[in-house]
Amino acid sequence: MQQPIEKPVGTPVDELDTPVLLLDLATFEANASRLADPARPARAEAWVHKTPAIAKVQVALPGVSGIAVRSVAEAEIFAAAGFDDIRILRPLVTPKSHRRVEAIATSKVVLEADRPLVGADWFEGAVTVSARVVGVPEPGRAILDAGQKAVGRDFGDPRLLGRTHCTAWAGSAEHGVVSFPADDSFAIGDWLQLVPADLATAFALHDFVHATRNDVLEAVWPIAARGAF
Amino acid sequence: MADCGPRGFLMRVSEVETPALIIDLDALRHNIGVIAECYRDKSIRLRPHVKNHKSPRILSMQMAAGGTVGGICAAKVSEAEAFAELAGNVLIANQVVGEDKIARLATLASRVDTTVAVDAGVQVEQLSQGAQKADVVLGVVIEVDTSMGRGGVRTTQQAVALAQQAMRAPNLRFRGVMSHQVPQSRQPSREQRFAEGNRWIARVLAVKQAIEEAGIPVELVSTGESWTYDVAAENPAVDEIQGGTYIVMEVPYAYMGQFRFAARVMGRVVRRLDASKVVGDVPVDAIGAPNGVPTVDSPEHIEVESIDHHGVVLSGDGVATLSIGDPFFLLTHQQDVTINRWDRYLGVRNGIVETVIEATARGCIN
Repeated sequence: MQQPIEKPVGTPVDELDTPVLLLDLATFEANASRLADPARPARAEAWVHKTPAIAKVQVALPGVSGIAVRSVAEAEIFAAAGFDDIRILRPLVTPKSHRRVEAIATSKVVLEADRPLVGADWFEGAVTVSARVVGVPEPGRAILDAGQKAVGRDFGDPRLLGRTHCTAWAGSAEHGVVSFPADDSFAIGDWLQLVPADLATAFALHDFVHATRNDVLEAVWPIAARGAF
Repeated sequence: MADCGPRGFLMRVSEVETPALIIDLDALRHNIGVIAECYRDKSIRLRPHVKNHKSPRILSMQMAAGGTVGGICAAKVSEAEAFAELAGNVLIANQVVGEDKIARLATLASRVDTTVAVDAGVQVEQLSQGAQKADVVLGVVIEVDTSMGRGGVRTTQQAVALAQQAMRAPNLRFRGVMSHQVPQSRQPSREQRFAEGNRWIARVLAVKQAIEEAGIPVELVSTGESWTYDVAAENPAVDEIQGGTYIVMEVPYAYMGQFRFAARVMGRVVRRLDASKVVGDVPVDAIGAPNGVPTVDSPEHIEVESIDHHGVVLSGDGVATLSIGDPFFLLTHQQDVTINRWDRYLGVRNGIVETVIEATARGCIN
């Protein structure tokens, strides 16, 4: 399990350990209240973030009731976290998986399509992975402490937040590499944010999401259903 | 956490709830044995890279087989912590910067002999300050870039200057040099592989020699990887190789021939799309696809057409006879990225799940 250095609520985001997954709550909440449609009952796609604390925010919005997950294992974890209306998207093909669904007694478990699914696009601009520069071994090249295992590459390389003239590459498992032009500069210890190419991949790589507001840590939420394939 | 089915009784692979990460215990023993056998009568040793398997139990198997240095290398400080009880010594094959992280590294060094790689003077200064504050000694090796284009000094002069700085720095012990390599050719013959490996190893040995000529003793040359394990073994100036890919292997290195695939992601068919296509229950985040889609190991004559968060689309002649619920097995193109998605392996021999191996350090990216 991920073991970042623990920091108290109120810590400025750039003083947190790196790499960690960051969720900017103000951006997420603004997206969610804009995109949730009270007139169109829907389920929240909780499999995307796998985080009960985020799903609780989603199902509290008007029009949203219940969640959607991919697997029986994800359903078990969300049921244990108190969710009582769960749709499993993947077909069940083994007797054991049916027995496991029956054992989730305290929740309604839905296996067929019912309401539309929402929430996957509520994270636009809200999720980043932090990183620090650990080396600048040659002009125009900075090495980061976040590679594929921190930001993912299954759907492409990340972007470097706020520095669009730089190219970020996560081709290595443990390192990121930034190529930057001569009029920019990077120094060892610089704190950066990477925008993952794919949200669900980023959540699948971390055990905690660090929720921030005004660039200050507000909460650390377990990504409880990570790895529950 | 991943669910891998019931524990405590023998289960056939065919009964496993999918998707699951399966490790072939015979193939694992074989791979570990290849290295142990190769290094038996040589001075070179393997420094097991724990980033590849994340498992104290697999590390124990590597150490018991022999041919190892009795320590580990790790990519991150938190990863090394998970092995501190077992490892006689630790090499963080990476740069560690910042007061917090170096304090954590120093705490590790108070438990176990710890060395870290550097490629810049700022790192040496920070490490020395952190080591003094914690009253520990940190070992330092200079990383030399040989083909990776990541960390590592680019010139011999930089390396000599850094070695001199490390020699003067309080609470640091300068130990030597390290490097990583990646083969530039995709399917090299044995001769090409040896020529390429020797070229990169010669580069790091030239840096070692320059440091020694500056009057600084070099006690450690840590270089090489799984693909150069036998190349390095023929060079007495190399003390150890940092290896880990060989443990479960991956498709791009299959050309080596000596090692077997030990890890597979098992899935089941959950839906038929048409006569030539089915959907399986392995989502992309359960195997990773950073460098292309996975390869189907069995059944035969099936390819991965695409893979996303909801599953994998299988196509090819072999799909026609598949039924809903039938198992299939995928091979990864980048083993450490795949292993890092799973909390545990199901250890299988002769079709029976014999054991569950915990990947304790999975997710230790800090």
